[in-house]
Amino acid sequence: MRQTAYSLRDVRYVYPDSPAGFALDLAALRVESGEILALVGPNGAGKTTLLMILAFLIKPAQGRLEFFDETAWADERRTLLARRQSVLVTHHPYLFKGTIFDNIAFGLKVRGVPEPQWRSRARRALDLVELGGWDAKTAAGLSAGQAQRAALARAIALEPKALLLDEPTANIEAGLALRIEAVIREISRESGATVVFSSHNFSQASRLADGILYLSEGKRVPFSHENCFSGTAGSDGRQGWIEPRPGARIVFPGRAGGHVTCVINPADIELFGADEPGAVADGPNVFGGRVTRLETTEADSALVRVSGDLTFRVTLPLREVESRGISLSRRVLIKFKPEDVEIIGSEPPEKPHV
Amino acid sequence: MIVRELLLAIGVSLKTSGLAALVASLLAVPAALYLAGRDFRGKRAILLINQTWMAAPTVVIGLFFYFLLSRSGPLGRFGLLYSQAAMTIGQIFLILPLITGFSYTALRQVDRRARLTALALGASRRQASWVVLREAKFALLVAVLAGFARAVSEVGIAMMLGGNIRNVTRNITTAIALETAKGEFTNGVILGAILLVITLGINILVQVGFRSKD
Repeated sequence: MRQTAYSLRDVRYVYPDSPAGFALDLAALRVESGEILALVGPNGAGKTTLLMILAFLIKPAQGRLEFFDETAWADERRTLLARRQSVLVTHHPYLFKGTIFDNIAFGLKVRGVPEPQWRSRARRALDLVELGGWDAKTAAGLSAGQAQRAALARAIALEPKALLLDEPTANIEAGLALRIEAVIREISRESGATVVFSSHNFSQASRLADGILYLSEGKRVPFSHENCFSGTAGSDGRQGWIEPRPGARIVFPGRAGGHVTCVINPADIELFGADEPGAVADGPNVFGGRVTRLETTEADSALVRVSGDLTFRVTLPLREVESRGISLSRRVLIKFKPEDVEIIGSEPPEKPHV
Repeated sequence: MIVRELLLAIGVSLKTSGLAALVASLLAVPAALYLAGRDFRGKRAILLINQTWMAAPTVVIGLFFYFLLSRSGPLGRFGLLYSQAAMTIGQIFLILPLITGFSYTALRQVDRRARLTALALGASRRQASWVVLREAKFALLVAVLAGFARAVSEVGIAMMLGGNIRNVTRNITTAIALETAKGEFTNGVILGAILLVITLGINILVQVGFRSKD
C-alpha cells in the first residue's frame, strides 16, 4: 500500500519580521510516498517557505503537519528524526569549508552511518551528479552550478525518504539541467524517495512532476496566470503561433496543433520605452502597451504589468526601471524570443493537486 | 637574577595567563555564539557594555578584585589575595570581554546559511552550533590568542593581586617592573625580549597545529 509522505491541513506560517505581512496559508496538501511534486509560482509565492516547512526547518504557526503518519513537531527527538528523513537542498546552497567529501560525510556522520560506508556512498552520489572523482576538491573553488550539484550529491548520499529541492537547476546550464532532471527521476524510481521541488519553469515542472502545486502570494491557486495564453495553434511549417486576440500573435518554434496553452517567464521578457532609441517595433513577439502596474517584488527587481492587446507581466532589475525611466502609464514595448515561449500543453495543464 | 628565578617567573606567566585564557574562552565563546545567533531586546546594551569593559584599565580590575579578595573583603575568607589564583581570576575578567567581542565578530561573519544547512542535513541543534564554530575556527583562534596575549602582557593585575612575591607570584611583567625600578635596565630588556619570544612561539605553534589538521 502506498503511504502518505506528507499530510498538511490548515498549515499557516507568518514571517515574524516581514513588513508586508507575508504568510503561507495552505488549507490541505497531501504528498504520496514516491511522488514527485512541483511547486510553481512567481518569486515570493511561498515556495521556499513551504519547502522549509516540509524539511522541518521552520515550524508552522498553526495547523497539522504529518510526515509518514507521525506528528513530527510533537517533541524534539521526533523533529530531529523527521529532519533526518527529509533533506532540503537550498536555492543557493552553502558548502562547508573543507572538501566535497567532508561535506557529504557530515550528514552521514550525524546519522551514525558507519565510517567505512562514507567513501562509497559519496562516490555513488557524486557519480550521479557528474562530479565523479571530485571528492577531494575543496568547496571554495566551485562555480555556482558545481556547488549546486555538490549540494545535491550531499543530499542524495543521505538516502532520505523525502528529497526537497529549491530551484534545483537554477544555476545549472541547460544541457546539464536535463541530466539533473534525469537524476531526480532516477532517485525517485530507485529509492522510492518522495521529491518536492520548486521551479519557475512550467515545462520542467510538467516534464518531471506527477503533480503541480501552484502557489501565489502564499496561497494555492488553481493555476498560475502569469503570462499564460492559449488559443488554437497555427503553423507555417517552420514555426507555430497562437492568437489569443485577433492580430496579437505569439510565435514559438516548432509545430503544435490543436488548442495550445503557453507561458512566458516574466524574467525572459525585455522591456523598452516606446520612444527609446533601441526600441524595435517589428519582429515576432513584440507587443505595445502601457505600464499599468509597477511594484518592487524583491530587493533588486521590479514587477511591471504592461497592458495592451495582451497583458504581460515583466520582471526586471530595479536599476533598469530607473535608468530607462519606466513609470506608470508610460507607453512601452515588450519583446521576447520565440524560444522562451513554453508550451505547457494542448490541454489546460495538470488538475490542481490535492 | 638567577636562572632558576627567571624560569619560575616564566612559568608563573604561562600558567596564570594560559589558565585565564582557557577559562575565559570557555565562557566567552558560548556567550558569543548565543549573541551571534539571535537578536533580542537588550542585545545592543550588552554589546556596548562589553565594548566598554574591553577598555577597562588593568589596574581598575586589579583594584576591584583587591577589594573583593582582601582579608576584610566579601571573599576574604578564601585567603586568595597575593596568589596565582588571584592573578588568574583577575586576568579572566580582563580578557573575557575581549574574547567575547572578537568571537562575536568572528561568528557573525559565518554565513547564516551554515547553521541552516547543518540542520537541513540532519544535525541536532548542538551539532549545528559546532558547525558554526568550526566554520569560524581560525577567527576564534585569533580571539583566544589575543586574549592570552593581553593576559600575559599585563602588569597591573599581576602586581596588585599577585604581589610580585619572588618565586611564587612574580611573573615576567612584574619582574620587568622590579628590575627597572632597581635600575637594572639590561635585565628588564632581556625579560621583555623573552616575553615577546614566548608569545611568538605560542602563536606559531598553535597556528601550525591548526593548519596541519586541516
